[in-house]
Amino acid sequence: MSEGALAKQDPVLAVDDLQKSFGGLAATDHATFGVERGTITGLIGPNGAGKSTLFNLISGFYEPDGGTVEVNGTDVTGMEPYEVAEHGLIRTFQTPRKLEGMTVREAMLVGPREQPGESFHRLFTSPGTVAESESANLAEAERILAEFEIDHLATQPATDISGGQMKLVELARAMLAEPEVLLLDEPVAGVNPTLAKKLKSQIRRLNEQGTTFLLIEHDMEFVMDLADPIVVLDQGHVLTEGTPEGVRNDDRVIDAYLGGGA
Amino acid sequence: MSALTDPRGAVEELTRPEGWVLGVSVAFLLFLFVALLTGALGPTYFLFLVGLAGMYALLSFGLNSQWGFAGLINFSVAAFFGVGAYGAALFTASGSPLAELFEGVPLIPSLLGLPVVGLVVGLAVAFVLAILIGIPTLRLRADYLAIASLGLAEVVRLIVLNERWLTNGSAGVRGIPGFFAGWPVLGTFPEAMPGLRLEVIPGSPVLLETAFWRASLNVLLVLAFAGGVYFVLRRAHRSPWGRVLRTIRSDEDLARALGKDTYSFKMQSFVLGSLVMALAGVFYTHLNLYVGPGDLDPITTFYAWVAVILGGSGSNRGALFGGIVIVTIREGTRFLNDVALPIDPAPLRLLLIGVVIIAVMRYRPQGVLPPQRELIWPSAVDGGGAPESPDSGVRERKGGGGDE
Repeated sequence: MSEGALAKQDPVLAVDDLQKSFGGLAATDHATFGVERGTITGLIGPNGAGKSTLFNLISGFYEPDGGTVEVNGTDVTGMEPYEVAEHGLIRTFQTPRKLEGMTVREAMLVGPREQPGESFHRLFTSPGTVAESESANLAEAERILAEFEIDHLATQPATDISGGQMKLVELARAMLAEPEVLLLDEPVAGVNPTLAKKLKSQIRRLNEQGTTFLLIEHDMEFVMDLADPIVVLDQGHVLTEGTPEGVRNDDRVIDAYLGGGA
Repeated sequence: MSALTDPRGAVEELTRPEGWVLGVSVAFLLFLFVALLTGALGPTYFLFLVGLAGMYALLSFGLNSQWGFAGLINFSVAAFFGVGAYGAALFTASGSPLAELFEGVPLIPSLLGLPVVGLVVGLAVAFVLAILIGIPTLRLRADYLAIASLGLAEVVRLIVLNERWLTNGSAGVRGIPGFFAGWPVLGTFPEAMPGLRLEVIPGSPVLLETAFWRASLNVLLVLAFAGGVYFVLRRAHRSPWGRVLRTIRSDEDLARALGKDTYSFKMQSFVLGSLVMALAGVFYTHLNLYVGPGDLDPITTFYAWVAVILGGSGSNRGALFGGIVIVTIREGTRFLNDVALPIDPAPLRLLLIGVVIIAVMRYRPQGVLPPQRELIWPSAVDGGGAPESPDSGVRERKGGGGDE
């Protein structure tokens, strides 16, 4: 395990000695790494390396067997996903989630956190506040859709758009939740090259505006071009961490991908 | 756009199924009107049916706010209905076992016999019951609630049937006053009204007497209940609160990832729906003036399910429509006795409901009046914020116009 993993200047996310087994299989095996604020950190590894399990552990969907997760210096280990989200960590899913019966902009409006209109009694005690925040959120949603150049989809049914467009909407919606660190699970899987390019530039733009990213991606060209540093996961533990150049030339990484080293 | 200021425009805005429903409803109302005038349908009985339709509408509203909004599968509609009905009945009936039970206890005997107290008690018991059943099941997958609620319905029914000291057992509770008994003006309204005699067709007069005025008070009550509930649910449905519920219905994990406390939202939806069902029970008690364990039979649950699915899951007006259709089929088939049929028409009722539900599932799986395509707090959409006109993309889809 690389000792330098925890020695971050300002980690927005710190994973320490995280463990999770399913039956006899150690899906996450003493994984330790950190995500420096302001970076786009890539998380790669061969199939079955435990990337998605790690995401589920970090975001609170799985309960770890051991180890800790810290977001912004707060220990969020074992918290419910919504509590982790409240601390500023938002995630997306590998397969785009469809919201049936909603239009795109309506699906976007699920994103903002702590809306006054989400409290039942305030719908009746202070409808004015609810309407105000709804207008503001709608305007913000339209603005972000325009930034993503998909504002023409705003009133389309959310289930009728292409898979790539769904990925864009997911990213746009996650931004409405104002995350400090955004976990993207395979943002360009199954996305055509044009849209993938668009997603890449959007992620870069959002990163320049201050959002930290941690992303899983199988498309090596995509992740090597976008992310720095890159964390390599193999059989549940962190194999190495480094620049795209360093990782690409690391023999252990090549071995892991080619199924060697056993 | 208001249907009052621009009726033609309002009609033109309707989608085809909405126009169809409107047409059939108008024809049905005309038919009822003629039946009333000719004396074929007794006015008092008709008002009783309106009350029953309102009660089913309430049940469907309740189930819709659980299944239609949040996707919660509740098979204990009859239990919450029964808790409301028995709560109201036991606290108001002259022959209630509670009178004996609380003899000598301070304060409580003086509260017995007040319908408002019965209303509060019925709702309070339903509230507690909903939370108790929700705590262990709402954290789990959807099917656990379905199984637990199925069991709950039977438990409540068997308690009512067997705990004679509390519920009078299989004899049921009699001697229930009307809801307005003891109220200043409304309490004596039916007796104070003069009997009227209308003779539209010579030889078959229509009599409007005390029973008629009493029944019209019940209609007034159910209109107030259903209207109030409809107002609350409509606002909730198109609010951010309702949007979180719809997200949970589609994909609970997504809602959790976006920072929504889904357990709390599901609990709110479950409790809200259960309270509305109990309200239907309270009304039923004062409509029927008798409740027995038979009212808690599972068939009530399934009528409510049929009404919601028929009307369109998630749609409040669909639930209203479904409730009315159920009562029409249930009670309308009684009149088939007057028509000469080669077979006994009574069993046709269930067959007809089965046929209707199969036909709807086959040709219109989303229900007759499914919810609008887009639900955003109205003033947020109308008050700008959208760069392009919201009318262009939304209106032809949502089609509801100002009346929902």
